[in-house]
Amino acid sequence: MKLYAYCLASGIDTLYEPVQGISAARVRLLKTEDLGVLVSDFDADTVPVTRENALAHAAVVRSVLDKTTPLPFRFGTLVNELQLRNYISTHKDAIDTKLKHVSECVEMSVKIIRDVSADSQREPLEKYQDNEQGIGAMFLAEKRREIIGDERRAAQAAELSAWLRESLHGLIRDEQVTVRPGEKLVLSAAFLVEMVKFGPYREKVAQICAERPDLHFLLSGPWPPYSFAGLELEFKSQFGVS
Amino acid sequence: MGTPFEQVMVSEEWEETDLSLLETLDHVLNRGLVIAGEITISVADIDLIFLGLNVMVSSVETAREVLSKRETE
Amino acid sequence: MELSPKTPLPAEPAIETSHVEEFVEQLRCVTDTLPSRINIDAQSVEQGLAKLVLTLIEFIRRLLEKQAVRRMEGGDLSPEQIEELGLALMRLEAKLQELKTQFRLADEELNLDLGPIGRLI
Repeated sequence: MKLYAYCLASGIDTLYEPVQGISAARVRLLKTEDLGVLVSDFDADTVPVTRENALAHAAVVRSVLDKTTPLPFRFGTLVNELQLRNYISTHKDAIDTKLKHVSECVEMSVKIIRDVSADSQREPLEKYQDNEQGIGAMFLAEKRREIIGDERRAAQAAELSAWLRESLHGLIRDEQVTVRPGEKLVLSAAFLVEMVKFGPYREKVAQICAERPDLHFLLSGPWPPYSFAGLELEFKSQFGVS
Repeated sequence: MGTPFEQVMVSEEWEETDLSLLETLDHVLNRGLVIAGEITISVADIDLIFLGLNVMVSSVETAREVLSKRETE
Repeated sequence: MELSPKTPLPAEPAIETSHVEEFVEQLRCVTDTLPSRINIDAQSVEQGLAKLVLTLIEFIRRLLEKQAVRRMEGGDLSPEQIEELGLALMRLEAKLQELKTQFRLADEELNLDLGPIGRLI
């Protein structure tokens, strides 16, 4: 019998209300070291990504947010109890540091879509383009144009990211910003915001969105700190053998 | 019992247009703590030999079909 | 809405946007980051390896293109040299496209996610 793990939390002794998790299984608190893990029983090898399961996962993680800020596991984390206990004791220090980092905070998201219709604008024709050129030279001229376009978009995306972060400076404890210069969804940001600064954060975000009517914004939150749970631990697992 | 390797499957019928669900998925699926799988040899996110994700993406009907088919094998 | 450690949180996170369809279109790719159909059989291991190798070649190919353009801009290449260089890079691009097709790899698949550093390409 496997366990589906939802999140790690400190300072929780018991679950006050019954919570339903994946496949309507009952969620319980597994204690190890001085931490609690919310788990439920799960007996298949794979977890289907369905509406019900995604919402159940999110609801379970959220259910502890009133008492303490948890470290959420990724959706689909299936382990046996021994693996779980080993994982926690091996990474105890990193987990404690992380829990401290996210304590009393929530995660707020900002996603930005930019208008891509301007991309089809071609760079002005210059001396590299003339009718007497061979195919190879024309190929390079075209590449040059593409590269210039890419560089311009990358600079714009970086500028956007800097603008966003600077505008929110002082209201956020941490940030995770991803930019994808070539794409419509050019920026996806997660901010770790202290609960006491939630109001000022929201006001500031509303203000800066109004400053940029050329951009399309999606704002969401508050979330448990999904984006601030995994980082270095995950980076290591991406490059290592385990 | 099952194979020692978990399987990941994406169905072409995955069609979701509920923004709130998609945004929730972006948080719970792409982020969060990861406990390494049972057998994991990976370079960045190219899994050469293993599978560590116990996640299957499909419509519920397909999921039921696949899971029950696997049980009879 | 004020939040403090003592204030009850809203039950669901709020989602605000004036552009629902656009974001739906973009976020549907959420599930695309999951690997699709990886089986433990010879063909897939081969494909996984091909993906890795072609990704690295693609990365280098793009660097070569950038360098070639820079040399061209630098003005120290003769028209014949520019033509030769362009033709060679054209062939390289076509060859790589051929290999992608052979291994049934889409353009987006040739990438490496380096975690916090971002993607390779």
